[in-house]
Formats: sequence, structure tokens, C-alpha cells
Amino acid sequence: QSDVPRPRGVSLSKASLYLPTKDFTCFDGTATIPFSYVNDDYCDCFDGSDEPGTSACINGVFHCTNAGHRPQNLPSSRVNDGVCDCCDGTDEYANPTACTNICEELGKEARAEAQRVAELHKAGSQLRIDLIEKGNKKRNEMAEQLTQLEKDKSEAEKIKAEKELLKNDLEMKENEVLKVYREAEELEKQKKLDQEKETNLKESTEHFNRFDSNNDGELSVDEIKVVNVFDRNKDGQVDDDEVKMFLGGDEKVDKDAFLSTTWPILKPLLMMEQGMFKPEDAKTDTTETEAEENHEELDADFEGNEEDNSDLDLQEEHEEDETVSEQSKSYNDETQKIVDQASEARTQYTDAERTVREIESNIRNIKQNLEKDYGLEQEFASLDGDCFEYEDKEYVYKLCMFQKVTQKSKNGGMEVGLGNWGEWAGPENNKYSVMKYTNGIACWNGPSRTTTVNVNCDLETKITSVTEPFRCEYKMELSTPAACDDSSTSQEHTSHDEL
Amino acid sequence: VDKNKFKTCSQSGFCKRLRPFKPEKSQYSLNLDSILVHGNVLSAEVVTIDAADEKRTVLWKYAFKLSALADGTFRVELDEADPLYPRYRTQLALDGEPKADGLKLISKDDGKVILVNTQGHKVIITSEPLKLEFLDLNGEVAVVLNENSQLLVEPLRARREKVEDEDGDGANQLDDEEGTWSETFQSHHDSKPRGNEAVSLDVVFPDADHVYGIPEHTDGLALKTTTSGDPYRLYNLDVFEYILDSRMAIYGSVPVMYAHGPKRTVGVFWHNSAETWIDVVNYGEGNVVSSLVNLVTGGQKKRVDARFLSESGIVDMFVLMGSTPGDAFRQYTALTGTTPLPPKFSLGYHQCRWNYMDEADVRSVDENFDVHDIPMDSIWLDIEYTNKKMYFTWDVVKFPRPAEMVANLTAKGRKMVVIVDPHIKREPGYFLHEDATELGYYVKDRDGKDYEGWCWPGSSSYPDFFNPVVSRYYSDRYRFENFPGTSKDVHLWNDMNEPSVFNGPEVTMPKDCRHYKPPQDGLEGLAAYWEHRHVHNEYGLWNLRATNTGLLDRADGVYRPFLLTRAVFAGTQRYSAVWTGDNTAEWSFLAASVPMCLSLAIAGNSFCGSDVGGFFKYPEAELMTRWYQAAAFQPFFRAHSHIETKRREPWLYPAATTALIRDANRKRYALLDFWYTLFYEHTVDGLPVMRPLFQHYPDEPATYPIDDQYLLGDALLVKPVTTAGASSVEVYLPGDGPWYDVDTYVPHKGPRITQPVTISKIPVYQRGGTIVPRRERVRRSSALMADDPFTLVVALDANNSARGSLYIDDGETYEYKNNKYIYAKIEFGPDEMTYTLASEGAQYPTGAWLERVVVAGIRAAPRSARLQQDGRQTALQMTLHKGNDVLVLRKPAASMARPWTITFAY
Repeated sequence: QSDVPRPRGVSLSKASLYLPTKDFTCFDGTATIPFSYVNDDYCDCFDGSDEPGTSACINGVFHCTNAGHRPQNLPSSRVNDGVCDCCDGTDEYANPTACTNICEELGKEARAEAQRVAELHKAGSQLRIDLIEKGNKKRNEMAEQLTQLEKDKSEAEKIKAEKELLKNDLEMKENEVLKVYREAEELEKQKKLDQEKETNLKESTEHFNRFDSNNDGELSVDEIKVVNVFDRNKDGQVDDDEVKMFLGGDEKVDKDAFLSTTWPILKPLLMMEQGMFKPEDAKTDTTETEAEENHEELDADFEGNEEDNSDLDLQEEHEEDETVSEQSKSYNDETQKIVDQASEARTQYTDAERTVREIESNIRNIKQNLEKDYGLEQEFASLDGDCFEYEDKEYVYKLCMFQKVTQKSKNGGMEVGLGNWGEWAGPENNKYSVMKYTNGIACWNGPSRTTTVNVNCDLETKITSVTEPFRCEYKMELSTPAACDDSSTSQEHTSHDEL
Repeated sequence: VDKNKFKTCSQSGFCKRLRPFKPEKSQYSLNLDSILVHGNVLSAEVVTIDAADEKRTVLWKYAFKLSALADGTFRVELDEADPLYPRYRTQLALDGEPKADGLKLISKDDGKVILVNTQGHKVIITSEPLKLEFLDLNGEVAVVLNENSQLLVEPLRARREKVEDEDGDGANQLDDEEGTWSETFQSHHDSKPRGNEAVSLDVVFPDADHVYGIPEHTDGLALKTTTSGDPYRLYNLDVFEYILDSRMAIYGSVPVMYAHGPKRTVGVFWHNSAETWIDVVNYGEGNVVSSLVNLVTGGQKKRVDARFLSESGIVDMFVLMGSTPGDAFRQYTALTGTTPLPPKFSLGYHQCRWNYMDEADVRSVDENFDVHDIPMDSIWLDIEYTNKKMYFTWDVVKFPRPAEMVANLTAKGRKMVVIVDPHIKREPGYFLHEDATELGYYVKDRDGKDYEGWCWPGSSSYPDFFNPVVSRYYSDRYRFENFPGTSKDVHLWNDMNEPSVFNGPEVTMPKDCRHYKPPQDGLEGLAAYWEHRHVHNEYGLWNLRATNTGLLDRADGVYRPFLLTRAVFAGTQRYSAVWTGDNTAEWSFLAASVPMCLSLAIAGNSFCGSDVGGFFKYPEAELMTRWYQAAAFQPFFRAHSHIETKRREPWLYPAATTALIRDANRKRYALLDFWYTLFYEHTVDGLPVMRPLFQHYPDEPATYPIDDQYLLGDALLVKPVTTAGASSVEVYLPGDGPWYDVDTYVPHKGPRITQPVTISKIPVYQRGGTIVPRRERVRRSSALMADDPFTLVVALDANNSARGSLYIDDGETYEYKNNKYIYAKIEFGPDEMTYTLASEGAQYPTGAWLERVVVAGIRAAPRSARLQQDGRQTALQMTLHKGNDVLVLRKPAASMARPWTITFAY
């Protein structure tokens, strides 16, 4: 191929663009120069096309044929820089003794290596076929399982529907018989409420009348100023803020206003004085600044008042008691029977529902696995869940295929997650050469850990190295017959040659 | 930053005690009868006199010296006449004994002494109170010392053991203030065995608009009035996550200050290595009360006062008379030295990280630079390469074959730089620790035992480089046989040399630690050692000197070493490049890299840079891009990052960002010979490489405060983009112009332009009248470009002329000292362009040749051009680009090893 005459550094495919009989036009068309300017060690073309064989253009490309080995394209800055870059040494022509042609040697080595790899791939691809078989078998099994589960699911759903009907029927009956009990209860509750309201009104009126010392039906500032209860902060006098608070900003209140505005604030204070009640929030009843000033004081008061607290607790417990007792209410025999039947139906329904859920979950899992990308021919499928370990000086690393990667210090300590199965991340033409495990435990002051697994062809599945090239980004080399693919390696070779 | 870890003035005993010291009248007076002028030195007795005492009793006696030094420089020294023990005199800052000038006594009457040096600078000494006025060549007062009566040398006193004082000496009668004999900061106790020994001096700069210098701070280039807040502090400290716009001390301390105004530039160099605080009052600043301005300046609008206050030592002040900024900068480097010519690779791009974890990591980073075609000259290893932080050893698991790793790099012309910190791990079996313990090489604590601090390795001790035997021993550790795996292509990085001590007061060594002092008959006790307080700011310099010696010796003085340091002091530039320490990946830190390096540059340290991308945190793509673009035009160009941050090599960013970074690095490499020439010229003229605008435009007041753009030499003006999402930047173009955009050759006239910017634009301008050498063929590393051809970019001035220079040598040895180099002057005029070898007898057989001449701003294009070299004539092809008036001479192909001429005909 080197027989075709062409300027130095030009590849065979571009030889026809350099015709000594014509002026040379830059590839980008920007200039036409005498052919003697080609490779004259001065850059005339913006695209560097006039100097394929010198270092004159910063963006030029030098082609070496490397007969006996692979041809190569170099940036023109490598031409005559004293470093032998082409195995045929043609890039250092200015100093012919600088480099020796080692292409034959390298080519031989490369061919031997290529053959070794090819043989490895050949041997490996037998194992790979087994893996594919296993994988397909596993997937078929899963598919069968899935069909069975779908069947089971419709069975279970049927049962669930039946149980639901039965449950609804019995619950209706139960409602019917319990209705009479519930109504009675409701009535009781209402009565209690009314009573409370009445007591409240009475109490309020009593207090109003007591404070309304001139009996004019209105409570004035002067009237409340003489009553101790209104001295909320206990500083010995009822000051303007306190007045404002209790009278809602007005000069006076009538009986209705007292009931709606003053009484709700006053009542808890009265109860507190009698040691009966603790307000929910000390802040609700006063201006904010004042609340903060008083807060400590109030808190201190409450802490010192154990009795208050216990009273409150008792009250809560009492309420709980009520609900409990409702459930264990005693009914007459017939009613009890219906209630028992309803309960039984409910239990059965719940069980049926759970069964359906379990089946659905199984289906989801299998579907997920079936959807997982196990390679072009399912060659990785049988490895799912298999775990491989690798030890270095400090750590034991564990890769569980399609699951997760972990690291454990030999000096003990917790297992650290270096990533969970994410995706295949190889280059477009070789997607299945790289696995990515992402979202591991986050690094201190850094990102969450990730692991990149390079998948290489070998006869045994094992991890051959683990490194941390970038902080918290781990790199594993995994060899496995699953990656031994005759076709893909031959592809790789052809793409190289095309350079 | 945790500010509580570091002292404020009021927490530093002497600063608290003496900051308010400003008597009505100075107690110091010069005894006129004692004056003796011998050679270039006037010596005299100075005494302090109690002003309140009518009998004028002498309180204390001092020895005063005024020396006239070469190149318009004076030195003023004041020491106790008969101190209790010798006071510390800083040892390594000066580059040898300063050269003497002539000094002539003109008159001595009316209580005044008038002297003059050979240049004609007069000094007027007023005897009582003592005051020194230095006059410029116009006879105007340029610098005044002790105008504000703040001259002070606290006399050394013996600690009284008993209440009864038998001494009878007046000064010893003073009641000891609290803190005289000990101080406490947080949990740290300072025993202060010598008591108070501070020194102070005020300087007045009449007519000055601004003062500059005293790095290292994160404040701007022009210093600010310090009346509110603390003074500027100089005390080498390892400040974790240091903050910006602060007068706090950080890693470096260079006590040189310049004052500049339209009338003149002058400077002072406070030769002292102890903790130092500097107050500044700029009466021209808006916030200094105007009535005070009038009172002090007598109606003059401009004046800046400064006051230097140090914990110990003597008063030793150099006065640099200027008169231009360049003169003053040169006068300073004449005293403390210049940066020697760096090995050329070190001007290329450095790739660093804490840490490249193992040999495979190094190899992969190296290869990726080639895959992505980004030039790179060195890969660095931080502390993790060592065996458990024991320097001069390797982690044998991660770095089993260092020599092979280095050889992989050097095969492509690249180098390696490894770190060696001064702290030594106290580990049984570690040879360095065992030797140092056995031989007594460590710095001692206050009780004379080996001082133990805490640093990266855990418990650590620190070599006492002040002992020449220790320095020698340390230098020898760098020998190839003592540091296996290293070669001439492995260079060094001394970090943590403030020194950093994690558990020490202010993260450094206690001040009462003991350093070596050459034994002297009869001197014992306190007189037999120096305390760390005396030498602190100098410690790093001693460390660097020992390393530098080691690097020279390991290669028998043949190869130039490269060394990087974090601690800085006056004189550091003689041994090492510096960087601005542990910065943060934020836009503001990118912006701060410019004033910080400018400040260091005018203080002698031109070889300066900041961690590209920022050390802490992670720079997003835009910030990273802008940082590379900015740093490509700063002297020391290194990416570095903290071990906890995400990896950030250029190819880990989106492809578009990688391409922008490649472009920035290529721009750097295209100009590598321009940089190399500037550094060569620095060794000759002592001028900064990276320059503030006012250096070349001293009459343009608008340039005085500018510190967000700068000049490289006198040819390029750089305005880095330091904000996010910028679509334009404002650029100040000084002088008459024109300034040519280096990307488009479009000329601009100042003073102000708005420069539109895209993400790929780095605003850089070439001054009309200059010629800049470039190499357009960018290789993998600088070494591979040695014989590549040059492009000369000629930017024309109004007279259609321009000039430039070019320095070429082998890039790595000292052979240039044997005249193996080329220093060429290049001149362009309308009729001819000449390339002449400017150094007589100097030759270098370079293979480099002239590829192209680009002439920007051509108004009348010549009809023809002919090259003449070696008696041969060649007609040259020319292309005129009408759009931007650029003329390109195609391939003259002249050798750069010999002179040539191109003649033009019209």
C-alpha cells in the first residue's frame, strides 16, 4: 500500500487529494497554494491540510503506515519532537537515527496477543453459551412461574371478592343490631355536652354578676381592676395590658361579650387558681413580647405544680378508658353472635387480601428480573445474585451481581455500600463491557459512592482488581466467560484498522 | 478561618503595649560630638534623655550607623551600645554584604548634619530630637524617619530575682509591667526569658499617593489606612482557609514598602525577622479626617505615614531613594537578590494534586494529557507518596518503582516535583529522626530538650537549619544516593515551612523555642542561643537555602533546580518560587491571585502563582476555565487541589471546557520564550516579571490603585476575567497606545475600553512599540519545543517602530554562565528589522529558526522584503491582511543562533 506516491504523512485514502501537477487547495477550501508549499514546514491552511508531514500546523494530522503493524494518526505536534511515536519511526524523520522500526516486532506481539485473546474468547464463548443456556432456562422458569402466579392471583382475587361480599353482608347485619346501642350512646353524649354548656353559662353568669359590682349589666375597667383574678401576671395590680386582654380592647363588656370574649380566658385562670387545669399554651392569651417575658415564670410555676400535671394525665387516661370500654361492651347473646361472625368474616377477608398482595409482589419481582437487561443473549442472567469477593491489603470487597457492591475493612467495622445496581454503561458499540453501581453510602464532604465494573472475558467469573481512582468512585475489574464474545472482538479489530 | 486561633494586635503583647506609643517629642538624640564618618558610614552615639528631667540625665546609650549604599540606597541602624546580650540581626535576607557608595559630610552645624551620596541624594540628620530626612535629587524631602517620634529600642534588662535592686542602673528601676517576663495566648505560655525587647520606627513619605508592598496579605496592592482595626501583620503562619481582604498574617512576610506619587517612588526595607506589625495612615484617603490632614501635612494634600513595630531585633532600615518605581524595585532586589534563571520547564504548566495515589495514577494522568493534547511539563506528588509521612522515603506499595515512573515522564520531556516538608516524624527506626536525635539537630524547646510538635506525621520535630552542620546534613539528604528514585529531573517542594505546627501557638512554633547560635567565648545562658521569636519569619528561608544547596550539590552544580515554597521572607526569591497557599475554589480567590502575586512580585518574588482551580472546594466548569486562562498569564502556573475534593483534571470536565483549558495552556506555551526572556532579564535588571501598571506609567495617577490587571514585562497587558457570566470587562490601557489585542491585532487606544468577552476570550494586549517572540508549534512539553521555529509579533508604535528581546539557552544547566546562551535584541523600523546578539561572546547553537514575522498596525506596506544572514540574501514572501493592517512575512527561515536583518523597500 505504501507504493502509491503521496506526500509524507498522508494516508492512502487521502493520497488522491495531493496531486503534484496541480495547485493544492486546503481541505476547507479557504486557500489555494502552489503544490511546493505542501509539507514545506510552513502552515498555509487553517485546517492544517497543507502540512500533513510536518509540525507546522497546530491542528494537522500525521499518518504513519506502520507496515507490519497497525497504521496510526498523530497530532502533527508529535512530528520531529524527539519522541518515537510511530513504530516505523517515520514521525522522527528529521533525525533518522532516533528511532528504529519496531513495527514487525510489535505487529508480531500484537498478533500473538490478538490470537491469545481470540482463543480465550473462543474458549470462553463455549462457556458463555452455557451461561446463555442457563440464563434462558432461568428466564423460562421465571416466565413459567409468572404464568403460575398470574393464575394464582386470579384465584386469590376470586376468593378475596367472595370474602368481601360475606364480610359486607355480615357487617351490615352487625350495624343493624348495634344501631340501637350506638343511638343510646350518642344521646348520652349530647346530654353531657348540653349539661356542660349550661354549667358554663351558669358559672359565667355567676362570675359576671359578682364582678359587676354596680349591677349595670356591664363590666367596666374600674370593676375588673379591683378583682385579683384579672391580675394575670400577679404583679399586684391589673394593668392596662391585662385589661385590654380581658376586655378584648373595649372599655367595657356586657354579659354576652363577657361570655364569648372574657370567660374563655378567665376560666382556665380560675381553674388554675383552684389547682385544676393547665393551659395548653401560655402564648395564646397575651401579646407576643409579654408572652416571652412571662414564659419562664409560667413554666416555672407549672413545673412546681406536680399535682396539676397528674390531674391532667388522669383526665387523658380516663378518655382512653372510655374507648376501650366501648369495644368490650357486653351485648346480649344474639347480638354477640352476629358481632363474632362479622369479626370472623373480617379476619378472613384480611387474610385473602394479604394473599393477593403477596402474589402480586412475587409477580412484580419476577417481572422486574425479566425486564432486567442481562445482555444481548441473556448471558448474564444466571449470574444475578451471585456474589464475588476480592481482598486487598485493607479491605474485603464484595460484588453481588445486579444487586450491590460493598466494602468491609479487615480491621472490623461496618460494611460500606459502594453502590447498588444501576445500569450497563459501556460505550455504544460495547454496552455490556461496563456495569455501573450507583448511590452507595455518601462520602464525608463528598458524593455518594459509586462503583464501575469493567467486564472482561476470561474462563472464570472473578474479580481481578479493585481500585479507587477518584475519591469515592471505585473501579472493579471483573472477568467472566459471559463477556467472551467472538463477534464483538472481531468488530473491535476492524474498527482499529480503519484508522 | 478560625480567627480565634490567631492573635489580634491587642493579644500580641508588644503590639498592645506599643501601638499607642506616640510621644509628643522623641527621647532620642544624636550626640554631634561623637560623629565619625569613615568610608561610606557615619557612626555616632545616640542617647535617650528623660524629657521631664531638667538635668538631662541620659537614660540609655545606643550605637547609630548611617551607610550610603550603591544605587541610591541608605541604611540606618540603631542598636544598644552595650546590650545585656547581643540582639538578633537577621542573617539570610541580604544577598551578601550590600555594595558601598560614597558618603560625604557636607556640614555639621545648628544641630544638623548634612551628608550626600555620590548620586547627590542628601541626608539631613537633626540631632535633637533625632530625625532623618532623605532628599531626592531635586532637593525635596522624600523620606523622613522618626518624624512621628515612634523610634524605640526597648533596652534589654535582667530579670530581677529579688525586690531589692542591686544593679543601681536607672532603666532597671522601672517597674515590670505585666507581661514583661511571660505572656499567655489561649493555652500557650510564652516564657519570654529576655523580657521586652521590641523595636519601632516611623516613616513619613511626603507627596505619596499610595504605599505598596509588605506581602503577604489578602488585601489589595495599594495599602490602606489602618487606624480602624489592626495594623498589617507580618508573621509566617499556616492559616487554614484564609480569608480575603484581610490584614491578617498568612504564610509570608516581606517587610519592604514602597511609596509612590507623581513626584517620585521611594521605598523602605525593614530588616527584621521577628513578628512585625505595620500601621499605615494615608492622608490622601477619603476617610482620614481633613483637618488632621492639614495639620499633619501643612496644607500638602498627599502624605503617607507608616510605622514598623517588631517584637525583637534591632532597628535596621534600608531607604531606597528611587526615583522611579522600577528604580525602587531594583534597589530592593539589589539588596536581597533576584530569582535566578529558572529551569525552563518550570515556566510551563504543572499538574498537581493532593494526591496522585500511586504509579498507575501518575501514568494515567500523564497519558491523558497526551490523549487530550494538552501541554504539561510536570506532575507533582504531595505528602502521600512517602512512607507514613517520612520524607526522603517512598510508600513502597503505591510507589514501588519511582525511578521507572520518573523515566516515563522524562521520556516525553516532563519532570516530577515531590514534596519534602521540614517536620520530621518522630518514629523509631526512621534514619532522619534517629540521626537528628542522636546528633542534636532538632530545634530545642524552652528547657533545651528536643521540641516536639504535631504535624502531618503526628509527633514531629524540626531541624534547626540555623546550625550550619544541620543544614549541611539536610542538604545531603537530597543527594540521589540518599533519596533513591530521584534524579536531576525530580524537583522539590518545601511546604509547611512557616513552620506549621498543628498544636503550637497560632499553628506555629512557640516563640521561646531555642535555635542554634554560633558559640562565642564567654557567652552562655541566654546569650548562647537565639529564641524562635527572633528568627521566626526567617525559618522557612533557612529551610529553602538548605534544600537549594542540596539540589545544586546532588547534580554537581550542573543543573538548575526548581523549588517551591509556601513560607516567604525577604530573600526567598534567591532559592524558590512561591505560591499563595491553600486558597479556595471561589471567584473572589481567583481575583485575589492578581494583587497577591503583584505584591509579592514587587517584593522580589516574581515567580508567583496561585493554585489553579482553588485548593479547597470544587470549581465548576466556568470558574475552572477562567482560572486556567488567568493563570496561563501568571508566572507560576500550577493546578492543585485538596485530597477531599472531586478530581478535576482537564478531561474530567465537559469536552468544551477541556478544549478551553487546552487553548489556555497552548497560549502559555506559545509565549514560553517570552516568559523565559523576562526571567532572564529579571536576573540582570532585578525588575519584576509581573508588574503593576504604575511601574511603567508613574505619571498616570489612574494607574496607581489598579490591581486587577497588570503588565508582563513592558509589552503585554493582562486583564483576567474573574467574574461569572462575564460578557465584557473594563480595561484600562495606559499611555499613548496603541495596545493591540493579541488575538485579533486590533489596536485600541486608552485610557478605558469595554472589551466584550466570550468564554474563550482572555483579554491580553500587546503594547505598540514592542516585539514579542512566540512559538506557534505547541508540543507535549516545553523540552520538546527546543528547536522549534519562532514567530515574532511586531506591534508598531506611532513611529512605525518596535523593539524586543529574546533569550535562548539549553533550558536546564548553568552553561549560560559560561556564555552558552543567546540574548538578542530585536528592532523593527520602517526600513529594516534587525536581530542582533546583545551579549558579547555569548553563543548558543540553537536549532530554532524564524518561521514568521507578524507586523501589526502597518500603515504603509513595503513592496518587498529581503532577509540577510551569513552573507546570503533571500527575497521574502509577504501577505498584507487589509482588514486589520497586519503584514505577515512568510518563512524567513533565518537561524536564531546568528544575527540577521530584513530590509524593506517601498
